[in-house]
Amino acid sequence: MLDRRLIQNFDWVLLLLLLLLAGISILNLYSATYAIREVGGSRIFMKQFYWFLIGFGVCLVMITFNYYYLERLAYPAYFLTVALLMIVLVAGKVMSGSQRWLTLGPLVFQPSELAKISMVLVLAKFFSDRGDVVEYRLRDLWQPFILILIPCALILKEPDLGTALFVGVVSFSMILLVKVNRKSILIFVGVCVLAAPVIWFGMKDYQQRRILTFLQPDTEPLGAGYHINQSKIAIGSGQFWGKGYLKGTQTRLHFLPEQHTDFAFSVFAEEWGLAGVTVLLLLYLFLVLWGLYIAKGSKDRFGAILAAGIVGIVFWQVVINVGMVTGLLPVVGIPLLLFSYGGSSLISTMAAMGLLMNISMRRFMFQ
Amino acid sequence: MKLKEKKWIRFRIHLVSVFFMGGLLTIFVRIYQLQVLQQDYLRGIAENGIIGTTTLPPKRGVIYDREGHELAITVQTGSVFAHPKQIKDKIETARALAKILDENQRTILKKIELNRSFVWIKRRIPQTQAEQVNALKLKGLGVTTEARRYYPGRETAAHVIGFAGTDNQGLEGLEKEFDKLLRGPEEKLAFMRDALGRPFAVTRPTTSDTSIHNLYLTIDKDIQYKAQQSLRHAVKEAKAKGGHCVVADPWTGEILAMAVVPEFNPNVFFHYKPYQWRNRAITDCFEPGSTMKAFLLSAALEESVVSPLTQIYCEQGKFKVGGRVVHDTHKYGKLSVADIVVHSSNIGAIKLGQKLGYRKFTEYLKNFGFGRKTDIDLMGERNGFIRGAKNAREIDRATVFFGQGMTSTSLQLTMAMAAIANGGKLMRPYVVSKIVDASGNITEENNPKVVKRAISARTARKVTTILEGVATEDGTAQKAAIEGYRVAGKTGTSQKVDPETKRYSKRKYVASFVGFVPSEKPRLVILVMIDEPRGHIYGGLVAGPVFREVGSWALNHLRISPHPSLLGNIQAKSAEAKEQPENPSEIVNASVSEAKPPLPLQSGQLPDFKGLGMREVLKRTHALGLKVSLEGSGLAIKQSPDPGSSLKTIKSVKVNFKPPM
Repeated sequence: MLDRRLIQNFDWVLLLLLLLLAGISILNLYSATYAIREVGGSRIFMKQFYWFLIGFGVCLVMITFNYYYLERLAYPAYFLTVALLMIVLVAGKVMSGSQRWLTLGPLVFQPSELAKISMVLVLAKFFSDRGDVVEYRLRDLWQPFILILIPCALILKEPDLGTALFVGVVSFSMILLVKVNRKSILIFVGVCVLAAPVIWFGMKDYQQRRILTFLQPDTEPLGAGYHINQSKIAIGSGQFWGKGYLKGTQTRLHFLPEQHTDFAFSVFAEEWGLAGVTVLLLLYLFLVLWGLYIAKGSKDRFGAILAAGIVGIVFWQVVINVGMVTGLLPVVGIPLLLFSYGGSSLISTMAAMGLLMNISMRRFMFQ
Repeated sequence: MKLKEKKWIRFRIHLVSVFFMGGLLTIFVRIYQLQVLQQDYLRGIAENGIIGTTTLPPKRGVIYDREGHELAITVQTGSVFAHPKQIKDKIETARALAKILDENQRTILKKIELNRSFVWIKRRIPQTQAEQVNALKLKGLGVTTEARRYYPGRETAAHVIGFAGTDNQGLEGLEKEFDKLLRGPEEKLAFMRDALGRPFAVTRPTTSDTSIHNLYLTIDKDIQYKAQQSLRHAVKEAKAKGGHCVVADPWTGEILAMAVVPEFNPNVFFHYKPYQWRNRAITDCFEPGSTMKAFLLSAALEESVVSPLTQIYCEQGKFKVGGRVVHDTHKYGKLSVADIVVHSSNIGAIKLGQKLGYRKFTEYLKNFGFGRKTDIDLMGERNGFIRGAKNAREIDRATVFFGQGMTSTSLQLTMAMAAIANGGKLMRPYVVSKIVDASGNITEENNPKVVKRAISARTARKVTTILEGVATEDGTAQKAAIEGYRVAGKTGTSQKVDPETKRYSKRKYVASFVGFVPSEKPRLVILVMIDEPRGHIYGGLVAGPVFREVGSWALNHLRISPHPSLLGNIQAKSAEAKEQPENPSEIVNASVSEAKPPLPLQSGQLPDFKGLGMREVLKRTHALGLKVSLEGSGLAIKQSPDPGSSLKTIKSVKVNFKPPM
């Protein structure tokens, strides 16, 4: 299956980017868990290391087949995901108030992570199948809307507002890739505005509070706004050159919440300063641009849309997570791609990266 | 894929690229904003690690007396606070605290049952108690040090210094007036969270300490102490309502002591009523009475209306003026102008004043500083009152010459007398000599300031000579005489207006004496005023002894040598005093000296003062021409240098006293 030409066309750039990000992530996780290394911190750091090894394995598996076959698997994968999301609501493991995890033998994973890829896949399939439609109107879009709505609603029910919104946002950004009738856009925006209050009152208390504290984080510095404030303090106190590796005081003294997961970026920003953050963000930017370059060069419409969708996942994770820890967006619990601790998220990300690599390697090949 | 379609998808991807780059740029700008633009603010919070703060009272600068002794200082005390939400077993915690702090268990329980994250349990307790609380190691309890104002001299100069409140804010006196300069930066008690999430407290000033200034006063702590002690004693003896004693340097206007009785202890100022905090020597006016005759004399001599020897008929003690009859205590016929002052004849004063004229006299009073603030650097000073010529009835025009129908503060009277003492110049009084910042630079300095020339030096000299007669066997104030020194002064006994009847009371008097010493080269001007004495009411009898006590003590303290021609006198008297002890404390001295006889005095060597009373030590050191500093009270227990040291090498001696058991 892996012929010589494939190896010749291997995307070393993408692999290098992934390795760099993985390296920085592990380095940072070591620091983030340094203060609690005696009480299980070092286990967290080693676990993530193994997850990365597995992730790269998954990545390799993803390039072994031609992504062309995925076109046929798109709908089955989508329905499998929906089924898993339903099962999780019935038989999922409840952790800290929400039912997000499924146990399969020794594996515990979040089907919502799978939903990200399935969504991108199924939308790529949908839009590439209808390549000849020049301009989409609302009535042409009802099918993708339904496709997006079902998993989103199921994830929201877990409840996991962050991931639900994330899946929605990634899916909608894929619609950017197709031409939509102007009138349809206006109608859609209007409906969204009208729907906002309905969504607001449908939210749980803690979800409402999060959004309120996002709007005014200083009203309750030790209450719900605590996370955002501490994170902002950590990042701000890093200044230009940072406090140095393993020297972040906010981190050491445990002011930062969730410092190895959602707030891993704050730890990094405190210790490496604007200089380090710039390097990290440039790596992400490069990943995004390289992904779009792959999309552009893709040999078919499905590959292009699929690659762009995967880039969408990368982009939105970076923007939402960093926006969240810098107080630009509400705290919604989206981890930073390839950076935060967490197995499910890492494996699904690496699978997506594998797909991207797959598309990249096959762009020069003719069917 | 068709070419057209390929182009289309490329265009779309470019569009998406721009959108994505815009998104990442937004994030970057946000981080730049946090890390570069707001860095100071956020770094400040991060370094302090503050999760909550409480403001602590600021430290304050020190107030020193003229010799650098501390009058007001800041000490560190312990304060106990609690985070009620973290206390598990509230009843047990309250019980443990109540035991250590000696407080009611229920009041403490009430505090820690409050639904708050921070509450003070007890503030300003001894550090040892705070340490005991700390040793309990109970969850949710904390201890911090807090600055507290402390006045080591207790009542000493309390009315001048004033005091600072519980939050170390100046509330009275100099503490209030110079609050901005004395007050240090606000301190914050910051709670930080340690790695296990437990809060702990640290104090840190929000700014540097350099804004604290220290005050140096003109007050001499020892003279002030002595003045208060003597005055307190006299007020008690006379069963009086209160009194003032002001000691000043007539040449500079420096206030060496300003005593007010009843006193208060600024360390526990809240135990006293607000009116007791008032510095009555400047805030209360009274009718000065006969002391004003000194200024009448000055005016009359300056205007050459009379000469000291001019004879005036004193109407045998009864004189009708303005429809009323004015009496003298003793019946006099013809008296010289000098004798009118020495014997304090009211009738003589009226007649002398009438020669001068009311308008002219009030002019002189104003030149002497009456009726207007002295501009001393203390707050709450009053003007005093002189009736304008237009509003004065005939009786007012008469009584003013012996100091009734006008009012003055004790300080005004002191400064007016100082003008006679220093050759005619009215000085501006002051108590703050300099203000020094944290690094020792003088930021403000008070220098002697002449307000006005009241009379000529020649007149002043003449008046002084006459006033010297007052404190003699012949005058009204022989009890004010100080052995070895010439004293010039004037007594005053004035009637007070009864607030109920609005007429002069037959029972309420103000007895005063104001004078200076040594009169030939004045170093001290001293005012003593006793408010509403019972029994003896005369200034000479009630206020005179205080003048003598404070004066002789202060002269010794300042190492002002007695007049050579009067020196023999003093030694004889001191010997007399030794044989015939005049008060019980000296009887005790005698018995102690018997039990432990002092080393035989060899000439040229320092004698042993052990077992002697304070007065005796003063006399002996005085005779040896030594400067002495006394500490404590009671009998001498220690001295330095040791007895037997060569007198040639010693200039001063320090003696410690302890009350006999």
